[in-house]
Amino acid sequence: MAETLTAASSHGEHAHGEMSFWSKYVFSTDHKVVGLQYMFTGIFMGLIGGFMAYAFRMQLAFPGVEVPGYGLVSPVDYNALVTNHGTIMIFWVAMPVLVAAFGNYLIPLMVGADDMVFPRLNRLSYQVFLLSAIVLICSFFVEGGGFGGAWTAYPPLSAQSQYNLTPLGSSLWLVAVGLEFVAFLIGGINFITTAMNSRAPGMKAYDIPMIVWMIVVASIMFMASVGPLLAGAVMLFMDQNIGTAFFDPDRGGDPILWQHLFWFFGHPEVYVVLLPATGLVADIITVFSRKKLFAYRTVLYTVFATGVLSFTVWAHHQFVAGIDPRMAHVFTVTTLLISIPIAEMMFVYIATLYGGSITLTTPMLWALAFIAEFLIGGVTGVFLGASGADIYFHDTYFVLAHFHYTFFPIAIIGFYAGISFWFPKMFGKMMNETLGKIHFWGTVIPFNLIFIPLFVLGASGQHRRIYDFSHFPNLSAPWQQDLRILATSALLVMLAFQSVFLVNFVWSLWKGRKAGKNPWKSNTLEWTAESPPPHGNWSELPTVYRGPYEYGVPGRDSDYWPQNEPN
Amino acid sequence: MSEEHMHHPNYLKIWAMLVGLLVVSVAGAMVGIRVVTLITAFGVACVQAYLVAKNCMHIGAARRFVPYLVATALVLMLLFFSGAAPDVMKPAGVNWVKPAWQEAAVEHDVSLHEARH
Ligand code: HEM
Ligand SMILES: [Cu+2]
Repeated sequence: MAETLTAASSHGEHAHGEMSFWSKYVFSTDHKVVGLQYMFTGIFMGLIGGFMAYAFRMQLAFPGVEVPGYGLVSPVDYNALVTNHGTIMIFWVAMPVLVAAFGNYLIPLMVGADDMVFPRLNRLSYQVFLLSAIVLICSFFVEGGGFGGAWTAYPPLSAQSQYNLTPLGSSLWLVAVGLEFVAFLIGGINFITTAMNSRAPGMKAYDIPMIVWMIVVASIMFMASVGPLLAGAVMLFMDQNIGTAFFDPDRGGDPILWQHLFWFFGHPEVYVVLLPATGLVADIITVFSRKKLFAYRTVLYTVFATGVLSFTVWAHHQFVAGIDPRMAHVFTVTTLLISIPIAEMMFVYIATLYGGSITLTTPMLWALAFIAEFLIGGVTGVFLGASGADIYFHDTYFVLAHFHYTFFPIAIIGFYAGISFWFPKMFGKMMNETLGKIHFWGTVIPFNLIFIPLFVLGASGQHRRIYDFSHFPNLSAPWQQDLRILATSALLVMLAFQSVFLVNFVWSLWKGRKAGKNPWKSNTLEWTAESPPPHGNWSELPTVYRGPYEYGVPGRDSDYWPQNEPN
Repeated sequence: MSEEHMHHPNYLKIWAMLVGLLVVSVAGAMVGIRVVTLITAFGVACVQAYLVAKNCMHIGAARRFVPYLVATALVLMLLFFSGAAPDVMKPAGVNWVKPAWQEAAVEHDVSLHEARH
């Protein structure tokens, strides 16, 4: 330990004198501080993304209305709002919160290390990420406004300013996304190396908690897939700004090439955010059903299978883009194949619950909701994966509802599951259970009321990316507009209930019951450290004797068996 | 550290090999036979890339998983190519054409039919 920082409330052996606020919280290399920085930045960006959804959903339900707090949503505004909502929620909320916040906070604590292998790289990763967020936010305010060519940025719309009308916004958007990728490449190196090299003595591969495995596999997938898109982003930037024609068919380029580059990254990316969420769900359901994970190795094998297969399905996003129909067959088959390991993982989780002594705490409710809601998202993906059906469904709200039933469980439900579970460790206080449950039901019920109507609307032919449906007689039946209003109203309710979480968060920080080291009686190593853990995590690093899920072992007095206890 | 340094490859020799291969690839193109050009251009480039990766990037000396990682990246590249090429390398497809490609095909006297395959 070369540094002399101390964690917020540590006065133990590790206190080496007080550091200034700046070096403690802003320029810290402590993995816990970096993790929390990622988390708070992610929450902040989530508020922006949520506000954008509010603005454009109001426009869809009540076209032309003056949106309270925003004003009139013009067509150009609408495009920029939708585009940046999607971009933010995936790259500036799901990624930082699930991969970087939990990865940074938990990996060293769960493998029994005092910090990341490369603490300064870790700090750099957050700083680049913060810069990327700032660039993105700035892009809303430049001349012409923020980029409005959809989060997938297909050329020619994204490449040529006479189409997108946002010459500056679209280039800044690309720069921001590129910087974000760099941040996660740096962070990923840390996660992988730390999990490989810094494990506590005795911790073998199959003793590693699921969330650590998942974040490591996710980081490897990210590294392997992001290269083509980063190259593509540079090419698109040059098409925009220096007159190259990589994606311009009139001058010898090919717009479909971008779609391939984007989705070769984009599909693995959905699993990059999925895996950490499934990992933390595994850790939570075992604790609150007091049962061993039903089939640890099976889960791991399904993850590896998913990881490999996820690189072979990308063109299912391009079935109607004019790709070779023979290739569409290939991608249909691979897409249907990939649903098998994911379904298997869900079965394993349900089998873990079977016969357990289940306590419905707030984190457990979120974890169960993840399984239930994600299943709907996964199953509707199977319909979309069949190229014949997708010719009808493509670019309708059916697709939109599909991916919200996957991303919402991942990014929002997964985050709430994780934060309500690890909050005691992070801040040393318990969160309020009553407020937690109010927030849970106030989020999950409206969520379904938003997106089930959108499935129906999509199946009735409602296309995405339309500013005002009253221009389309086939899409303006009264029942269709009623469903739009229902979805928007449910969104308003859901957004309002998020204040319960913020109140609970702040209130618990000040007034919450003291947590102690291991409030949930959990096995994994992070619960053997103080809450919150001091800089360096332990005064004496732990040793590991068994796997992470030894709950309810017959013949033992206590129903859990911490990984670090010799007997 | 010092021990590792004694085992480093002879960079000068590798550099000379790279230059030699460069000469081969340029000369190959000058022969003017398409197959020869392809072999000397791509074949030589592969050998050069291998030499650089193995010696200058020290992949030969790294832990075993590193070459596997690099190999995986190559496999992914081939995978991407095989998925993208059927559309991207064609001048026309189902309901679409690339005018610039077709003009180029006429200019270079390649019949469209040939270019399509
Ligand atoms: C990990 C969970 C998943 C996530 C996060 C996810 C996310 C997404 C997203 C964001 C899109 C729409 C992209 C866009 O056009 O803007 C999408 C479309 C699609 N998804 Fe998923 N998905 C998931 C799981 C699945 C599964 C399991 C399958 C099939 C077995 C699947 C099949 C499809 C297909 C075929 C499309 C393209 C539909 C179209 O554009 O016509 N997805 N998904
Ligand atoms: Cu996909």
